[in-house]
Amino acid sequence: MSHRPLRIGHLFPDLLNLYADRGNILTLTQRLQWRGYDVIVDEITHADTPRFGAYDLVLLGGGSDREQMLVAGYLANHRTELRHAVEDGLPLLAICGGYQLLGAYYQVPSGEKIPGLELIDMVTNYSAGQPRLIGNVAILTEEAGVVMGFENHGGRTIHQGTPLGSVIHGHGNDGVSGLEGIRYRNIWGTYIHGPLLPKNPRLADAILRTMLQYAGIDDTLDPLDDRMEEEARRSFVKLRMPEVEAALG
Amino acid sequence: MLAIWVGKLVAWLLRLRGHDATSFPGKIALRFSPNLLRRFGRQLERVIIVTGTNGKTTTTSLLASMISQKENIITNHKGANLIQGIVSACLRESSWTGRIRAKTAVLEVDEATFPLIADSLPVVVIVVTNVFRDQLDRYGELDTTVEKLFSAIRKTQACLVLNGDDPLCRHLGLRASRKTFYYGMDRATAKVSARKQMRDGQFCLQCGHELSYEGFWYGQLGLYRCPACDFVRPHPEFLGTYRGHTLTLAEDLVPELELTLPVQGLYNAYNVLAAVSAARVLGLWADPIHAGLASYSPPAGRMQSFDVGVPVTLNLIKNPTGCDSVIETVTSDPRRKWVVIGINDLAADGRDVSWLWDADFEQLAEDEHVERIITSGLRAHDMALRLKYAGIDTNKIGVIEQMDDAMDKAVSEATAAQSAVYVLSTYTLLHPAVHTLSEKVRNDESQTLAYRTSVS
Repeated sequence: MSHRPLRIGHLFPDLLNLYADRGNILTLTQRLQWRGYDVIVDEITHADTPRFGAYDLVLLGGGSDREQMLVAGYLANHRTELRHAVEDGLPLLAICGGYQLLGAYYQVPSGEKIPGLELIDMVTNYSAGQPRLIGNVAILTEEAGVVMGFENHGGRTIHQGTPLGSVIHGHGNDGVSGLEGIRYRNIWGTYIHGPLLPKNPRLADAILRTMLQYAGIDDTLDPLDDRMEEEARRSFVKLRMPEVEAALG
Repeated sequence: MLAIWVGKLVAWLLRLRGHDATSFPGKIALRFSPNLLRRFGRQLERVIIVTGTNGKTTTTSLLASMISQKENIITNHKGANLIQGIVSACLRESSWTGRIRAKTAVLEVDEATFPLIADSLPVVVIVVTNVFRDQLDRYGELDTTVEKLFSAIRKTQACLVLNGDDPLCRHLGLRASRKTFYYGMDRATAKVSARKQMRDGQFCLQCGHELSYEGFWYGQLGLYRCPACDFVRPHPEFLGTYRGHTLTLAEDLVPELELTLPVQGLYNAYNVLAAVSAARVLGLWADPIHAGLASYSPPAGRMQSFDVGVPVTLNLIKNPTGCDSVIETVTSDPRRKWVVIGINDLAADGRDVSWLWDADFEQLAEDEHVERIITSGLRAHDMALRLKYAGIDTNKIGVIEQMDDAMDKAVSEATAAQSAVYVLSTYTLLHPAVHTLSEKVRNDESQTLAYRTSVS
């Protein structure tokens, strides 16, 4: 294939690396390479200046509250550029802390507000005394069927936008609404890690398709041999969330 | 009194039926008397606590082995490091009237449990081995672990023995304003590493700036310095030089100690250094230290070897940094090998298996002497998937959910090929694996014996 190499920007792997984001990057790059694409992953550390125009996809992972605060500080100067890129269709995958950063703020138990990127009309609150929302999770999504993994967050996220999916098992955005994540333009925001993409190859491919389209490459992606992925999904659901089995189809 | 009787009775019954009694008796006894630990604590003169992410069990056993050369002590075995395990250890050394037959306790304590028990015991020394990423679902996040340790330290009057090569330990030491002794490796032995391994706490906890490193040992352990403030790796009071099978301990104004290591690997050299430093702080001289190392036998599943016709090495894996050290030991073995990886997701293993993706299984893909990898346990399929994305040929990967069957398969294939077997497993699969492998050793010995009898 004679395409230019695709470029993934991994934002702050030095700070936001709490929930195996390496697994998400690995899934995206391997699934592209298995189909003959060249991929370059740019690790954008806090010392670099992110150039959002140069990436075909950006990944923003999760970190501790302290690290998230640092990231908010570093990104404050690049907020406008990122907002323009997102409105222009830049695919962005944001997980856990990264997901919280998409909104206006994340209020931590001490009452302090970590300012967000304000890409989406969304807020997150974590009040003192509230339990963390921890455990296995499965949601039903429109674009990728059942998406499953693990969640571990104190913050309760509230938005009026389109969720990524509806909760079949677990807590989701706030533990009460039955909604999980957000879909906005080419943004995927979610609390699901585990990591997210290896066991959800349909979602991985949906993101890759969007990425290729954004890169101006016309490819609907040939299917891969996903038997191991399917096995992992089935056995995980059977063991930990049997009520989800029916939704797997 | 009733609590002690019940606890001892439960322990006796368990042992009678061949189970181990490392936690359950304490759990039952605590139900009858929630204050039991405080009552035991009042009878003790000094308690040494070993905590941290990796190396607790080995460091505790090493230190216990050294101190017990001189006196009878209480210690918790097999990594039973929650409150019920500690109470079980006390029960084992107490009479039926609750009198304890020891004045000193050396206890391994889980980081989350430590704040709950710190003020029940006369803690004189706290050893923190390191703070790595471990079981996030239990502790929330890494920063919470540091806070828990700090709150526990504040509840005691103890002095600290800390790993000076770990910036998170250094941070603890600075905040605690206690008498603190640091141990660390000789700076000449640090290496500049190119591998992408997880490095926790690579940001200065004092000011938030990125730490700069002159060299690494493993994980975030290295020669760190913050370019923005005065946070820097301290010069260790106890300086170790690791040379494969020996560790030299240097200390100001005291003759150097040349120690023979009873355990393999750099991460174990750190454990020996931690234990010896604590022993020195407690006033132990060379003789009990040497004798303690010589009489030490590794705890279950820490590079434990079994000869079942082929050599089998069993290892606990539970977090990325510890797992990377284990994989490095596997790949540095030049023999052809079969690898069994058992992953469970019960509470004691950590219910979140994401950490598998932060561990450097890519090292196995690069080792051409790995013939086959069998994944096992409740999350065997997740592990298989991890290996696929690590770039390992899927024909080399097999899934056998029952751990015993997986080990059988690996041993029989490795026997035919005259090669080695490595078994890596999470916590709840470890003791059953020890049991199965020990049985295999016995069967193999009796077969060999029968064979010998028939030819003589």
